[in-house]
Parts: sequence; C-alpha cells; structure tokens
Amino acid sequence: MKKSSIIGMIIIAIAIGAIISTYADSSTYGTFSEAKETSKELHVVGKLDTTKAMFYDPEKDANYFSFFVNDNNGTNCKVVFTGAKPQDFERSEQIVLTGQMLGNEFHASKILMKCPSKYTQDKIEVKEVKAQGKI
Amino acid sequence: MDIQFTGEHLLPGKLGQFFIVLSIGTSILSFISYLLATTAKDQLDLSWQKLGRLAYRLNLAAVVGIGACLFYIIYNHYFEYHYAWAHSSTTLPTHYIISCFWEGQEGSFWLWTFWQGLLGCIVIAKAKTWENSVMTVISASQVFLATMIIGVEIFGAKIGSSPFVLLREAMEAPIFSRPDYLSLIQDGNGLNPLLQNYWMVIHPPILFLGFASMIVPFAYAFAGLWQKRYALWITPALPWALFAVVTLGSGIIMGSFWAYEALNFGGFWAWDPVENASIIPWLTLIAGVHVMLAFRNTGHSYFTATFLVLISFVLVLYASFLTRSGILGETSVHAFTSMGMDTQLLIYLAFFLIIPIVLVIKNWKQLPITKKDEETYSREFWLFIGAIVLFVSCIQILATTSIPVFNKILGTDIAPPTDAIQHYNKWQIAFAFVIAAISGFSQFLKYKKTEPRRFYIRISVSLVVAILLTAIVVYVADIYGNAMYILLTFAAIFSILCNGNILGEALKGKWKLAGSAVAHIGFAMLLVGALIAAATNKVVSINNTGIGFGDEFAKNNNPRENIILYKNEPTKMDKYLVTYLGDSTFGVNTYYKVNYQVIGEDGKIKENFNLYPNAQQNAKMRQIIASPDTKHYLLHDIYTHVSSVPLKEEEHHEDHEGHSDDENYLKPVAHEVTIGDTVRFRTGYLVVKDINKSAKINDIALTDKDVAIGLVLAVYSDNKTYSAEPIFLIKGNAKVDFGKKVDEAGIKVRFTNVLPDKNKMELTLYEKPKEDKKDWIVLKAIEFPYINLFWGGTIIMVIGFIMSIFRRSKEIKSA
Repeated sequence: MKKSSIIGMIIIAIAIGAIISTYADSSTYGTFSEAKETSKELHVVGKLDTTKAMFYDPEKDANYFSFFVNDNNGTNCKVVFTGAKPQDFERSEQIVLTGQMLGNEFHASKILMKCPSKYTQDKIEVKEVKAQGKI
Repeated sequence: MDIQFTGEHLLPGKLGQFFIVLSIGTSILSFISYLLATTAKDQLDLSWQKLGRLAYRLNLAAVVGIGACLFYIIYNHYFEYHYAWAHSSTTLPTHYIISCFWEGQEGSFWLWTFWQGLLGCIVIAKAKTWENSVMTVISASQVFLATMIIGVEIFGAKIGSSPFVLLREAMEAPIFSRPDYLSLIQDGNGLNPLLQNYWMVIHPPILFLGFASMIVPFAYAFAGLWQKRYALWITPALPWALFAVVTLGSGIIMGSFWAYEALNFGGFWAWDPVENASIIPWLTLIAGVHVMLAFRNTGHSYFTATFLVLISFVLVLYASFLTRSGILGETSVHAFTSMGMDTQLLIYLAFFLIIPIVLVIKNWKQLPITKKDEETYSREFWLFIGAIVLFVSCIQILATTSIPVFNKILGTDIAPPTDAIQHYNKWQIAFAFVIAAISGFSQFLKYKKTEPRRFYIRISVSLVVAILLTAIVVYVADIYGNAMYILLTFAAIFSILCNGNILGEALKGKWKLAGSAVAHIGFAMLLVGALIAAATNKVVSINNTGIGFGDEFAKNNNPRENIILYKNEPTKMDKYLVTYLGDSTFGVNTYYKVNYQVIGEDGKIKENFNLYPNAQQNAKMRQIIASPDTKHYLLHDIYTHVSSVPLKEEEHHEDHEGHSDDENYLKPVAHEVTIGDTVRFRTGYLVVKDINKSAKINDIALTDKDVAIGLVLAVYSDNKTYSAEPIFLIKGNAKVDFGKKVDEAGIKVRFTNVLPDKNKMELTLYEKPKEDKKDWIVLKAIEFPYINLFWGGTIIMVIGFIMSIFRRSKEIKSA
C-alpha cells in the first residue's frame, strides 16, 4: 500500500471526526418550555415583547439588562442578559437568544438580533410642507 | 396613466443600463469567440481569437461605463435612483461616496466584474499559447457576473438586480403618483455608519480583487485538463495563484483590522460565517500553491494540486452564495439579506463545479498521477501532507459554517455551537500546530531524497533553541496553563527559527529562497500573535460594584464586563485610574474623552493618555452605534468602547434667548414652610434652619425701607451636607427673589413669598430630571497583549508572498 493512501485514510478519519464534532458541539433551537426541561444551553428564537418594560439602568448596574420575549410558540418569558443593552435593541424584528433557564428567568449569554436596518428598509421618509389653509 | 415626472435625471440611468446590456453582449461574444478559437481545427487562423480579444476589451470598457454612470448618480445625489437613495446621503463626505458603491450587492458585483475584466485583459497580454482556453473560462465567468446586475424578469424569474432601478419602480408609495414627488425626497438613507471608516474604502476592493483573481489559476488548471496539457499549466499559473493568495490575504487582513479598529465586537477574528467564507478559499489555494511546487519539482501530487486549485474558485462562489443569499441570517451578524438571486448564484456555482468534475473523470486515465511512493525524507512528501492538513482544517471550518445550508437541504433544525469561538479554536489550534511544525522542519528537506542523519543534525539545533525560547515566551506571555497553547507556540517558534536559518542562507546569496522563508516567518509570527492576543486578552473594565438583582443573578455570575463612569469622577479599573472628561460632537459622531492614568506606588503618574471612543447618536431611532478607540503600545493595546451612553434628545442649541434656566428642571413645587420643617426631594432632603432677616445681596444697595430675608437651609444629599440661602427681597413696591442652586444635589431653591397671615414662607423647589443629574458613559475596555506580533506577522507574510511572485514570474520568462 502506498504511504500516501495510508495518510489519506488517516486524514479522512480526522475530517470525519471534525464533522462529527460539529454536531456534538452543535446546539438546538428550542422554546422556553424546552429550556426549562434541560440544563444545556440552547438557542431560542423569538420576538421582543414590546408591551412589557425593558430594564437597563446603568447607574444601578451597567451589566444587567432584562426584557421579555415571546418565543415562536408564544410563550412569554423574562430574559436576563449580563452586559450592556445592545445597540438598536428596540428595533429588532427577531431575536436569537443563546443561554439557559435559571428559575423562571432565561439567562442569555448571547443575543443576536435581526434588525430591519435603517439602511436596508424600504421606507421613504417624506418631508412635506403643507400650505396653511384659510379658516 | 402616464405621469410626467419633474426633476428626474434619466439619462445616466439609461446609459448605465445600456452599458449593462453591452457588457452582457460582449462577454457572451467573447466567450463564444474564444471557445471557437480553442476548438478550431486550424490553429493558425487567428480571426476568432482577434474577435474574442476585441469583445473582451469592449466588455471592460462597458463595465467601466457602468461604474462611471453609477458614480455619477451617487456623486450628484440623484435620489430618483434607488441605489443612490438607499446607500448615500447628501451629508456624506466625498471619500465615503466610494464606499457607497460596495455597500449594496449590485455595487459589489460590479466591483468583482471590473476586476475580472481587468485581470482578463492582463491574461490576454501575457498568456501566449494559453490565451484561448484560459480566456474561454474567464469570459464564461464574466457572462455570469454580468447577468447579476441586469435586473430583468424573464417568465417571472428575476435575473440580476440592476443598480439603475428608479426609486419609484423599486417601491410603491402614494407620493409616486405626484409628478413632483422628487422635491419631497430630501435625502437618501445614507451609508451604514460602520462602513464610514477609511478601511472600508480600501478593504472591499482588495478583497474582491482577491476573489476575482482566483479565477485565473482555476482557468489554467481547467485549460490544462481540457487541452490535455496536463503538466504544463502549473508554471504559468503559479504567479497568478500567488497573486490571488496575496491579494485575498491582504483583503482579509484589512477586514480584520477594520473589525478591530471600527467595530465593537472586541477582537480581530470572531469565526463569523462571513469571515470563514472568505478564509476557506484562501487556505485551500495556499495548500494548492504548495503542491503545485511539489508537482513541478518532482512530478508527485498532480491530482492534489489540480483539485485544490479548482476547488478554491468553487469555494469562492460558495462563499458568495453564503453571504449573498441570506441563508446565514440566523447565524451571522453581517451577511447580506436575500435579493432573490439564490437560484442564479447556485447555477453559477454548479456550472463551475460540474464541468471540471466531468473533465477530470473523462481524463482520469491520462492524468500524470505517479504510482511511485514519495520518500519520507523528502520535501514533496511533507508539502503534500501540509496541503492535506490545511484542506482538512478547511473542511472543519466549512462543516460548521454550512450548518444553515445542511438545515435547508435536510430540513433539520440544528443550531450552531453555542460557543463558536471555542469550538473552532479547539480544532484549528491543533491543525495550526501541525502546519507550523511542517513549515519548519521541511525547510531542511530536499526534493526527492534527503539523508536522514544530516536532516536530524540540522534540525536539532533549531529544536533545542525553540524549546528554550518557548519556555521563555509561554512564561512571559502567561499561557503555560494550556498544553495546546504551549505546543502551538513551540511549533511556531520552531518554524521561525528554521525559516530564519534559510533566510540567513538567502542573505548569503541564495536569494531565490528568501520569499518563502519570509512568508513562513510571517505566518508563524501571526500564529503566535493571534494565539497570545486571543488567549490572554482580558477585559479590564470589570465591574464589582453592581447592586444585586437577586441570588439567581449573582449565582450565574458572568464576568461583569462593563463599567459606569460618571463625568469627572475618577474610577479605578484594573491598574488604571479612568476618568470620563466630557464629550464633543463632530459631524455625526460624538467623541467621549476618557483619560487613563497609571499611578505608581510613589504617587507619580507613570502613564497618562486620553482615548476618544465614539458613538453615532441617532435620537430619532433611539440608538447608538459605537466605535472603539485604541491606545497602541509596542507590546500591548488598550482597546476601549462605550457600550451605552445617555441618549441625547433632539437639541436646539441655536437659540438661547427666551429660554430660561428653569427649563433644565422639572416642574417646580411650592412648599409652605417654617423653621424646623423638612422638605424631601428625590435624592435627599432639606431642613429650614433659620431666617436671616438682614440678608445681603451682592451688587444691590439696600436702603432702610427695603426688606431682604434669607432662608437658611441645610441640604442633605448623598451623605453630604450643603448649605444654601435663597433670598426674598421687597424693594420699593417690587417683590424680587434670588434663588440658589445646589448643583451637587441637582436642585434649585427659591424663596418666593412670605405669607404673614399663615406665618409661613413659600419655598419653591426645582429638581433636575433624573438623567441630567450626572453625565455618564458605560465603558468596556480590553487589554490585548502582544497583538503587534499578529499585525507584524501579517505584514511580513504579505511581503514574503510578493517576493515569491517576482521569483515565479521570472521562472516563466526563463522557461
């Protein structure tokens, strides 16, 4: 057998190992109710609940930010993030949270937002000056 | 209904669209001509070749025409065009108008087309016998790219997206029914503030030049198979492959520097899918270059070389599919959103994937694949191993990056690893160790066969010195706690020493070898620099003063990485005493002046510098976009950005007249008080101590008939006591009062009336609204040790690649 064939096989074995490891390390998308049942970190996709108040008061604690999210099943849950409030947060359309449930709060270690960026949204800003109507 | 719109400038758009059609026409003509020229029986008939050349050069002219029209539109702020409206604004400085060009997908496709057109013209001038076949491939790719910006619908399928679409065609809104709608659109959406950075002017063109130049080695490898000149394509393709490696590499490094200097994600590499997509083809082509050399010198590794060069360009197309199709939406922060061109991108990808596969299979039997085994002690063997390890490392990156693609194909719902950086590092550090080690010892191996004893003698010195140096480095850089870190550091230092040895010989006269030695030294330095900076960077703005939010919160104690700074209140942060000194606004950016001091034990100031992290405030959107500022030292950097600042409301500073000071306070509250009474306010309370019946007022002379009464107050706030004495004055018939401010407590007090019938005094209290009490910023600061090793390594590596390009270009001429 050629030496390079043996090496080829070793390499293929490592490549397969790498791919398997991808799936071993990979996480799952879930909901808040699923998060309650597991102690693993998972991804929860949802929307910001704008009817409930967000809390970020840097004068009290610059590393505490809490808000409410409705997951894709409609379950509402309080989310706590150890860090500063991300920029543009209110405008996010969809939020992907990474973290786990602690008690009744979901503690997020990472927040990924999908924003209808100002720079891509197709909404025209019209400036119009109306003539004064006579009364 | 046909509305006659006023104020539109339709000519540049029509001209631009004409150029787009011309560019498609000429690229198709060029493709067909070159195809016929390649397959013609009579190779002496040059008419097809001449036509192909003409068409390709015309194509470049048309592409330049498209760019000129688009630039004209953006430069003149013709917001009737969607592209200008969406990506620029009148307030944008001129040099960033160039950046607007590539903010959108259409502009970045144009850039790619332009480079490919230019590179093709260079190939025409240089390729000699390879011209026809190589140009067939390049012009085929040019056809695909040209269709990306045509913007037509055929049978309901959208083909391309034109940058010359009018705003009123791109969207629907009631205003477009008005002939004078344009006068209502005052300004465009503007350029994403993150792209308003000088690196963003230069990074995309270099990156796209890198992507575009990948087609040339691909075309040579393809032409080699097609024309059955199996072994001959390597020599002319080698300088092109090196050129692609150096430009794409520089582009990636600039992007990394932009991320470090202008983005606030706190680092130079984040394993984001978009970053991965650009580095994968770069790594595969580097691997390809190495086995190309092995094949040229020994005849081994033919298939590996061909495969790696072909797959590199396919991976470029895959990368553009990933970033442009919107498939990364849930995993990446900066992918484009979909423009409905997924199918078109996939056809492009499939075309350049399937045809080479077919060619390889058809020619398999005749390919010059050696049956011989390589010697273990030979350079070609280890070049091959190194290339394969690089390729496997790419497979690992590719597998994780492609999770959203697998989800789409298989219908699964797998999320990427929760800690992506750790996931990638775990694998990539091991791969980097192997590659660095091979790039070290293989320098002492010759092609064909090396005598083992001599080899071991030569590497042993480097090995011993490397072990000693590694011990020092891991101790100084404080990374000895992790075995993998130690191994990688060792391998990189070993590689630097081995290649330094070669460089030493090169300086004695063997100049040819200098390029690769320099590139390898740069690469090894980059690895050590990246490893140390990534492993030991520490957040210095750790905040331990936070008030508890319950036990649950404290238990899950992530490091509290942000710290609040009040204006002019020095705060201890790691070894620094930091003070927020105030802000100033230039254009759209607000710069926050933060002073850093290090005070030695003797009380003397050892270091003293100011940083100006900035943020773009957008009061209307209620958001900030922060950019860091970094203090660069030789051995470390202090990187600082604001995470949160008080949002400024829309301010009107122009006119101060008619505004009284009272506007800075909440609605005043009047209290009726006597001596001994207490009045509470938000941040404290005050006590009426006494009445001063003979109060004096500066600058006002009092007569006997005037009455001036002072109200002696003690104000308690934040455990401090202040005194204040507002005065009430009756002068003649007029009642006047003189209020007093207690800024520290955020209040103002006025003695507004005397109520003799109630035997009380009226005290009016003004409180500042909460936010205005103190100016603050929330700051995050990271110390990056030895990051200059990383940047220095990247520069040295690029220099090494450029030296190699010159060497390999000379070889074509001498061949």
